Amino acid sequence: MPIDTWVAIIVAAVGTYALRVGPLLWTQRHFNKHKANNTQARLPTWLSVLGPLMIAAMLGASLIPKAPSAESWAATAIGVFITTLTWRKYRSLGLPVFCGVVSFGLAFVLLG
Amino acid sequence: MSTTAMRSGLIQGVIDGLPLLGGYIPVAISFGVIAVQAGFSTLEATLISVFIYAGASQFLLVAMVAAGSSLWLAVCMTLLVNVRHVVYAPNLVPYLPQSKAWPFLMHGLTDQIFALAHARLPILEDSRKVDWFKGVSMVAWLSWILGTALGGIAGESLTQQWPVLDSVMPFALPALFLVLLAPKFSSKLWSTTLLVTIAAALVIALGSFKNAAIPFAALCGALTFYVLTSHVDRKQFNAN
Repeated sequence: MPIDTWVAIIVAAVGTYALRVGPLLWTQRHFNKHKANNTQARLPTWLSVLGPLMIAAMLGASLIPKAPSAESWAATAIGVFITTLTWRKYRSLGLPVFCGVVSFGLAFVLLG
Repeated sequence: MSTTAMRSGLIQGVIDGLPLLGGYIPVAISFGVIAVQAGFSTLEATLISVFIYAGASQFLLVAMVAAGSSLWLAVCMTLLVNVRHVVYAPNLVPYLPQSKAWPFLMHGLTDQIFALAHARLPILEDSRKVDWFKGVSMVAWLSWILGTALGGIAGESLTQQWPVLDSVMPFALPALFLVLLAPKFSSKLWSTTLLVTIAAALVIALGSFKNAAIPFAALCGALTFYVLTSHVDRKQFNAN
């Protein structure tokens, strides 16, 4: 691979890392300043609202099947239903995901 | 910190990270296949996964380089796709105990790790948080790297041999996001906001702006949240 392509990849890697670590350092400094002044630091409301919304957006975007068809959408609906049902019963992390994937897989194979 | 607490934090992180494998490995294999088809060697594709470690933007970067686009344009587009990461760390800071390890660990702060950490860190003891994060992000990072290498070496034959697994395993990601989000459906305000966000992301991603789906849908959700809260505030004001 040419050297300039490597330079581009390194810049992209450093830039991506900076996008992840920069806001951490800034927010930690903000919180530490409040701690030193014995005041309560709070995240701006818009920022704390965006956290769960980003997860909801990831959920929406990841629901689209790899090869969209009536069958794969039906399998997705079944997988979502079983995941939700298992979560409501057990309130755990691994089991609902496992049951969701198995039910999606079964529906995908049986309907496909 | 006791050895037991340290070990259990790490092991808990590894266990919590296991559902990610279903989503990460098939996508990483696809990335390995596409990178090799685009003219990168398996080692180069794997190094991209080691250092950039950001799914969608890696696909974009490799495609743009292969298409002969300007390298700086490719870098700018990669960073633009990843700019959504800026809201992740600030949302975790209130739950992070003091440690010099956090800045280094932020390399592992992907979308999915953020989603997991946002749900798990508030309920973990402070003494276990650093090790939990190490465990969960190591599982995810290694699976992404190994999946890319596997994709580069034998990806095409793997996906041809088990096409069903390639279509089924990625459902682990929406299932995981659903489980992480489920406790948030606790009020009409949040339920409406989250449903609007999910629907917006689905519609945008089905169109031709897949990479923009997450930030734009989150902005739609934020708008909904503010419209609903100001409506409630107005009603309460009128009632008084």
